[in-house]
Amino acid sequence: MSKLKRLFLVCTLMFAVFFSIEQVSVKADSTDNSVEQIKKSGKLVVGTSADYPPYEFTVKENGQTKYVGIDIEIAKQLAKNLGVKLEIKNMSFDSLLVALESHKVDAIISAMSPTDERKKSVDFSNIYYTGKQYMLINKKDASKYKTLSDFKNATVGAQKGSIQYELVQEQLSSSTLKGLSKLSDLVIALQSGKVNGIVMEEPTAKAYAANNSQLVAIDPGFTESSGENGSAIAFAKNSPALVAVANKTIAQIKKQDLINKKYIPQAAKYMSTSTKNNTMWSYWTYFAKGIEYTLIITIAGVFFGFILGTFLSLMRLSESKLLHSVAVCYIEFVRGTPLMVQVMFVYFGIGAVIQSLPALTAGIIAVSLNSAAYIAEVIRSGIESIPVGQTEAARSLGMSKQETYRYVVIPQALKNIWPALGNEFVTLIKESSIVSIIGVSDLMYQTQLVQSATYKGVLPLFIAMLIYFVMTFGLSKLLNLFERKLNHG
Amino acid sequence: MDNMLEIKNLKKTFGKNEVLKDITENVEKGQVICVIGPSGSGKSTFLRCLNVLEQPTSGKIIFDGQDLAHISEKELNVLREKMGMVFQGFNLFPNMSVLENIKLAPMKVKKVSAEEAEKRGKELLDRVGLLDKADQYPDSLSGGQKQRVAIARALAMDPEVILFDEPTSALDPEMVGEVLKVMQDLADSGMTMVVVTHEMGFAREVADEVWFMADGYIQEIGKPEEIFEHPKSERAKDFLAKVL
Repeated sequence: MSKLKRLFLVCTLMFAVFFSIEQVSVKADSTDNSVEQIKKSGKLVVGTSADYPPYEFTVKENGQTKYVGIDIEIAKQLAKNLGVKLEIKNMSFDSLLVALESHKVDAIISAMSPTDERKKSVDFSNIYYTGKQYMLINKKDASKYKTLSDFKNATVGAQKGSIQYELVQEQLSSSTLKGLSKLSDLVIALQSGKVNGIVMEEPTAKAYAANNSQLVAIDPGFTESSGENGSAIAFAKNSPALVAVANKTIAQIKKQDLINKKYIPQAAKYMSTSTKNNTMWSYWTYFAKGIEYTLIITIAGVFFGFILGTFLSLMRLSESKLLHSVAVCYIEFVRGTPLMVQVMFVYFGIGAVIQSLPALTAGIIAVSLNSAAYIAEVIRSGIESIPVGQTEAARSLGMSKQETYRYVVIPQALKNIWPALGNEFVTLIKESSIVSIIGVSDLMYQTQLVQSATYKGVLPLFIAMLIYFVMTFGLSKLLNLFERKLNHG
Repeated sequence: MDNMLEIKNLKKTFGKNEVLKDITENVEKGQVICVIGPSGSGKSTFLRCLNVLEQPTSGKIIFDGQDLAHISEKELNVLREKMGMVFQGFNLFPNMSVLENIKLAPMKVKKVSAEEAEKRGKELLDRVGLLDKADQYPDSLSGGQKQRVAIARALAMDPEVILFDEPTSALDPEMVGEVLKVMQDLADSGMTMVVVTHEMGFAREVADEVWFMADGYIQEIGKPEEIFEHPKSERAKDFLAKVL
């Protein structure tokens, strides 16, 4: 009973701390110094989901990833008018609003429509572009699907959290709706017949159709609900000054008709060049960078996880009830929640307190904290596997408890747990792919970039799979070799 | 003669199970005590209470003028240096060579230099007849050799008394002799020893005093010939009739 009580107390404490943090960040929002803050930091951080050509997508230029598209041009213009540098943060569409609310980004320019629901949590500029809602379908189905009524009982895909997603819910209630967070994944689903059509904006649909001869874009005739259509720039709540600057910029762009005259043709050009050289080979630098980051995250995760895990396991084995319960709570809690949630919590949650926390650091912290819990249990079982006679022999020679652990128990435990530690390392290589959701350029993230840059869905995934396998298989072979050496030594 | 160890009203219970029920005895300096008795009579628990590997439930263990049952961990660690122990299961450190096993405690606890510990370790190995095994690992030794290394390891801390917990019970019969020989030499050199054993021959020949233990009490104390030839209590007679 007292154990339960203590657990409850610890949890209450955690919540109390968390909510006091929340309150502080709310207070900071009450006055509008949004423009001053951006000018002070010297850069405008814009969040976008760069898989939505021609609005925003990536191309490879001199081996470097470059963000291009209509929205990127608008972002450049806005940064110019603010007199600051532009920084683009690429993440999945459904993470964008959270990123804005937790001040990871200053603005969202990602073909986002200003719905009433979104207006509750963020401020929007005026609409800068209105595209019609189109449907992307397989060419072989072109005769089957022509208007909305043809999609009755069909499966229709849309990007999760997007206006198109709601559109399908409202106007195509008789069809099955499939939501994924990446448009490129939806296109794979379309090509493999998992969905029959994807709702997206006219320019985007046309771009995909132009780059893939098996797809066509059709206008199924969605009823346009006024106001909610079209794209606008989103800012944090209560930043009218920033909205005013954005509206001025939009007016400027509209006056010169820059979007139709300059931005769309420019984007179309990028799209056609990227399709010309979209062999996988020419994207090897993408994969190489991904491997590098995956290894950085994994090695750092195992390293810090091991240090923290050692402390946790000693705390768990400690005679102090407090240390023991803290360790048990931590280990059970971390092992009982998905890594994905932990990664997002560290980036958006802790990141709300420490504003400048980069995604890579957040990813490493989350992966380390996660692996620490698992490694702690591995070390604990290693320590418990050492016969009690070893401890008794050491104590009878006058060694203190600490000396006994340090010189007798831990060295033997480490030797026993080496294979399990190696396994954890191998597991982390795979698990760390989760950090791609917060925009860390690990192998999975880079693979998604290649997908959207080449308009090819399956092949990059297959290559990523092979690379992951070579890494994990190679590593386990290497660890086996060490283990054998260790046993002979 | 000086008392090396004074045991006063020692009691030990595990849950509701009373294992030691009020033991009061003395061990004099230089004495070799053999504790005999039927299995489950509390002999090993008694021995383990003497260096507080088991915390006594009540009573006193007085060693070097201090009551081991009621001192801090730190003070206990210091006194344990002077109290060697040899276990039934040897408990050598399997990840260290024979010599490293012996050097570890002197270097880490007494802060003896590596050279000095090595020199002393080799002397001790020579004494137990295993100098040629210095660089081998415990796994490659026979049971008898392991136990001799364990004795050398205990001696490396220069203890004033050594506790032996059934040192030959885990050995193949042909290896018992070599270990008893080392113990006999040790006894002859004047070491104070408390030995829990089933080796009646050893007890008879080497012990200064035999303690017969049964049912949580020390039932009878005497010179070996008294106990073995003329046991007084029924329990002792019964036990000796079975083992001799």
